[in-house]
Amino acid sequence: MSVGAAVSNPLASAWRLIPGAWRQPLTVVGGILAVSWLLIALLAPLISPYDPLAQSAALYQAPSAAHLMGTDELGRDVFSRVLWGARISIPLAMLLVALAFTIGGTLGGLAGYLGGWVDELVMRGADFVFAVPTILLAMAVVAALGPGLFHAVLAVVLVSWPGHARVVRGLVRTTMESEYVAVGRLLGSPTHRALTVDVLPNIAGPVIVLAALEIGNAILLLSALSFLGLGARPPAAEWGSMVSTGAEHFEAWWMGDFPGLAIVSVVLAFNLLGDSLRDAFDPKAIIKARGA
Amino acid sequence: MAFVLTHLVPGDPAVANLGDRASADPVAVRIYREHFGLDKPLPVQYFVYLGNLLHGDLGESEQSQRPVSTDLAEYIPATAELAITSIVLACLLGITLGVIAALNRNRLSDQIIRVVSLGGMSTPQFWLALVALYIFFYKLSWVPGSGRLDAIVLPPPHLTGLFTIDSLAAGQFDVFANSIQHLILPACVLAAFNMGLFTRFTRSAVLEVLENDYVRTARAKGLPELTVVFRHILRAASPPILTVVGLAFGNVMTGTVLVENIFSWPGIGQYSYRSATALDLPAIVGVMLFVAIVYILVNMVVDILYGIIDPRVQLA
Repeated sequence: MSVGAAVSNPLASAWRLIPGAWRQPLTVVGGILAVSWLLIALLAPLISPYDPLAQSAALYQAPSAAHLMGTDELGRDVFSRVLWGARISIPLAMLLVALAFTIGGTLGGLAGYLGGWVDELVMRGADFVFAVPTILLAMAVVAALGPGLFHAVLAVVLVSWPGHARVVRGLVRTTMESEYVAVGRLLGSPTHRALTVDVLPNIAGPVIVLAALEIGNAILLLSALSFLGLGARPPAAEWGSMVSTGAEHFEAWWMGDFPGLAIVSVVLAFNLLGDSLRDAFDPKAIIKARGA
Repeated sequence: MAFVLTHLVPGDPAVANLGDRASADPVAVRIYREHFGLDKPLPVQYFVYLGNLLHGDLGESEQSQRPVSTDLAEYIPATAELAITSIVLACLLGITLGVIAALNRNRLSDQIIRVVSLGGMSTPQFWLALVALYIFFYKLSWVPGSGRLDAIVLPPPHLTGLFTIDSLAAGQFDVFANSIQHLILPACVLAAFNMGLFTRFTRSAVLEVLENDYVRTARAKGLPELTVVFRHILRAASPPILTVVGLAFGNVMTGTVLVENIFSWPGIGQYSYRSATALDLPAIVGVMLFVAIVYILVNMVVDILYGIIDPRVQLA
């Protein structure tokens, strides 16, 4: 009977093939949101009704059928600018996490594997960055290099590598202590083989989860720097700087609120995904490795 | 270390502080450099700085032309008032929600709390601050707009620098009410992120405790549910929660930079933003030192509290 039901409903059986963590309704919501934003970032030139930089005589228009999210102080279409904003924030956040992970992961891996003074040096550096508030360090770096999106990315990389370094170091250390690595070494496998075959696959899962969680934070921090005038320069359609302009035109709420909502929904999507992934993998390993 | 790092960056503080016109004039730049000792080589500057630091001299802010320690003393109480209020709010809300979520695991209330807490962690604070101002100040006029007090209200006599406590100590209840009105909105905005963080950590800490036999025993004895929650569950779950609360002081500092700028709150956040954009190195280093000291102190307090909660923890 139950077999028959499963066969007669292929959709339901396909649904059951998906791992448990992915079947949570909130995970599905997060996934759909994230995929939609990725599509928007890809297709913005095709789907946005106006040029995001094109000015017009229609200033401060409230949302209407012609301008779904109204127009701003230069008569630009807010809806198109919000769509184009995805092309700035999402790729940059991914680039940023990739850079921070490459630097932090390499340093953390070396620290965990070699131990000794390398470990000391890397971890003291990480502690230092942890003790200084992220935005303060980032602000100082951007102010020194000069405002600009690329400098903002560099600044956020500089403040976010230690998180990755700590996790990777912790994971490498626990994996190195495990019996299968010891057995591998006893069987005569060289260092690089022990690292790539025994250690790497075992730490990949938690590391990917951390990256997903970090993308949301990266978007938040980048847009905060742009809000403060240290990131994107006008006239670029960047969400943080759009909120900042909106703040100067209080009565035209649509200028700042829609870009703000865009940030919330993107970051929430990645946080929901990361949170579910963390439940799916071994959650304790990540929490312990993060030292929190 | 902070000192070297901030000096390695390739901006020129003289140019940043003097403005375009003055920096075109080489004489003005030279006078400026000599005044702040910037003409000497970096190692010399460093040892001069360390020497001064030993007797509590953080140097002179290049922007306000006052000693950094004077600036810090003026701005720290405002930020302390804001930060402490927001952490207390975040703890109350976050721990309550976290316990409710864990006790109703995977039910509807757990899912709702999950969205609320992740939402708090996903909302940019600068935007939340603006929306809150728009609704509660601009539309509803429930709260005054910016600053720590209305312009016509005189600050209470200086005692701690926290206006709420000072005004109560002086018996000025109208000033107290006014400062609370000014404090409540920025504190709530600042609390949103940490509320989410505390909720998530409380939930997972409580879930871990719930599996223990002594919780089942306590319930089987017929103890009232509230006693079980407070005596047995929360006590055992508190070490990881405490750790996060300690680490959260870092998030608060990031939040204050944004929130203080929006609410014109005269605190460390605004000061550090002004100093960073003006490349005011003594001020930046001073703020970094102060925050690092707070960070270390808070984590020491957390370690001591561990020992009080869990007698098995021995302080080395």
